[in-house]
Amino acid sequence: MSIPKLEFPPFHLPAEAEALRGEVRSFLEEALPKVKTEDRFASWNTFSPEFSKALGKKGWIGITWPKQYGGSERSFLDRYVITEELLGNSAPAGAHWVADRQSGPLLLRFGNEEQRQAILPRITKGECYFSIGMSEPDSGSDLASVRTRAEPVQGGFRVNGTKVWTSGAHRNNYCIALVRTSGQHGDRHKGLSQLLVDLKTPGVTIRPIINLAGRHDWNEVTFNDAFIPESCLIGNEGDGWLQVTSELAFERSGPERFMQNFYILRELVRVLGRQPAKRASSILGRLIARLWTLRQMSVAVAGMMQGGKSPAIEAALVKDLGTIYQQDLPEIARAIAESDATTEEDLADFLDVAQYATMMAPSYTIQGGTTQVLRGIVARGLGLR
Amino acid sequence: MDRETRDMLLETADRFFTDRCGRAVVNEVEKGVWPADLWKEIEEMGLPLIAVPEDRNGVGGTLADMLALLRLAGSHAVPVPLAETALGNLLIAAAGSEPKPGPATLVLGNLTLSGGRVSGKVERVPFASVADRFVTVAGNTLAVVAAANAKIDGQPSHAGEPYGTVTFDNAAAEFSGASPVSADRAFELAAVMRAMQMAGAADKVLATAVEYSKQRVQFGRSISTFQAIQHMLAELASYVAATIASAEAAARDADEGGLMDGGRFSIAAAKSQASDFAQRIAAISHQSMGAMGFTHEHILHHYTRRLWVWRRDFGSETFWGDKIGAAYAKAGPDALWASLSASKYAA
Repeated sequence: MSIPKLEFPPFHLPAEAEALRGEVRSFLEEALPKVKTEDRFASWNTFSPEFSKALGKKGWIGITWPKQYGGSERSFLDRYVITEELLGNSAPAGAHWVADRQSGPLLLRFGNEEQRQAILPRITKGECYFSIGMSEPDSGSDLASVRTRAEPVQGGFRVNGTKVWTSGAHRNNYCIALVRTSGQHGDRHKGLSQLLVDLKTPGVTIRPIINLAGRHDWNEVTFNDAFIPESCLIGNEGDGWLQVTSELAFERSGPERFMQNFYILRELVRVLGRQPAKRASSILGRLIARLWTLRQMSVAVAGMMQGGKSPAIEAALVKDLGTIYQQDLPEIARAIAESDATTEEDLADFLDVAQYATMMAPSYTIQGGTTQVLRGIVARGLGLR
Repeated sequence: MDRETRDMLLETADRFFTDRCGRAVVNEVEKGVWPADLWKEIEEMGLPLIAVPEDRNGVGGTLADMLALLRLAGSHAVPVPLAETALGNLLIAAAGSEPKPGPATLVLGNLTLSGGRVSGKVERVPFASVADRFVTVAGNTLAVVAAANAKIDGQPSHAGEPYGTVTFDNAAAEFSGASPVSADRAFELAAVMRAMQMAGAADKVLATAVEYSKQRVQFGRSISTFQAIQHMLAELASYVAATIASAEAAARDADEGGLMDGGRFSIAAAKSQASDFAQRIAAISHQSMGAMGFTHEHILHHYTRRLWVWRRDFGSETFWGDKIGAAYAKAGPDALWASLSASKYAA
């Protein structure tokens, strides 16, 4: 019998990446005490232009990009270390997060020279922010069914349709929208393209969608005869599907898929005190061991990517395991905190924090590809479909 | 050994285990039959001496080479104490002696050792009733005791392997000497050894369940075409992947950091992780294979029962979780990320 081997070759982050880690830590020690606690907990969901600009000044946004676009031409692994330090220290890194992770790399790979020059240097300075324009009211996991239509007209496209779950659209500069530029609804992957949309374009309306925790992260973005100039087409007309899947690959195996609520683990250590009973310490230790494992897997994937491989199945496995870990964490932590907290006062504080984490938890296994979509990808990798 | 040599050895061993260590052999061991021929051939291949230096008549491999071999052995449910003997021989060589042939096992626990005599009792010793000699470390001294000088109460493990309780009553050692590997460290090395065997077994469980799902036809089609089954097996793959990734990372850290204390935290985390997911791996694989996989006839239980036994051997997830949790609690919340990102107990 033979199935594809699941291998996560152990990988060491190189010395220069570890040296960078020290620099990032020193920077954060200065920058973070000024940030409100709840903004730190929300980490890459917190919009803080001030923080993003300070990070940009250090050269830590778009660090892998060519120097001509404001980057530092450093390795993907240097970026990895910055990302995990931001999460491990609960930094308010939401403003530039999507631009740094996927929009910038997408423009670098498929965008034209004018787009790159106009936008990438601004991203690296921490002053240009992006939203993801993929999902629609009738297109979630089935992304190829998008209906937003961009009709070619003189000098550009006339766009009509609706995008939803568009995080940060009310504050960001741009959104990269997946739209149909030719053919009919039902043509699936054919005839899709990606457009660079300035969110201030006339005919683009942004309305809040409040999530269950009462937060305004999401929006509904409506296009009503919005004119998007031809110069804003990203890549080739009709290549949208290929481009969007490559964009999704950037989204899946990073540390934000298992460290989004890392603060819960840190607060759990705090609430259990310095000498927890064996039952509590063993459960704490098992949680730490699971997180360590996820980090080994994620670093191994980063190493494979640095080596020029495209480990799509491994990346899907990291996101599947990692997001379920993030869902388990507040539940397991709450149970042992209730029985083993050192003081009633500490417990009350912890339960407050845990309650917020519990409310956010359902989102982890939905955003960036649901558990079920990921398992479909893994099943295909196992030769089952 | 270099990468190419290791790959060749693993390839040869893989073919050998496939040919000579099939279902019948594993089942015979469960009935109490010692597979003398299999052991003889394993010794002829030099496998128990893989991590013994050449100047002590060993193969000259590293700890990492040994652990890679044992992961492979785990994927074949090799029902003899290859792992225990290989690690025991490594420890004997490190203490300055030359290992003798014959199956050996590790007796690690609350023992006292003085003047070349050993006392104490250890339960659940793997392969206790078939080992020729017992390798023990107490404090910083290693001792080798012949089976004849110990009292052995055979209590087969739930995987049907000849485990048992070993009692030493002022037992004379055939060798004792200063050990660079402490008793605690020997236990850690045994833990990473089991974690790697668990990685092998987990890998085999996944392969078995995937293959079965393609062969098994219900409702007129192979069950692998049902989305419910596809998602179960994808979830199974995630637990198997975690087991493999953590065990491999610990094996690397143990090897690179040196025999005396390399990868202490990684080993604890990997054995905790492997033990933690053993049940999910067993549960999903059995559910996906229905009644067939629950029969003694099928090989699935060779692996799932070993996972259930091995998760307790040399520290369960509760044992290692406590080690990690106590150390991290002591270091406090602000040390958590620095320690974790350095794969260390405390920064």
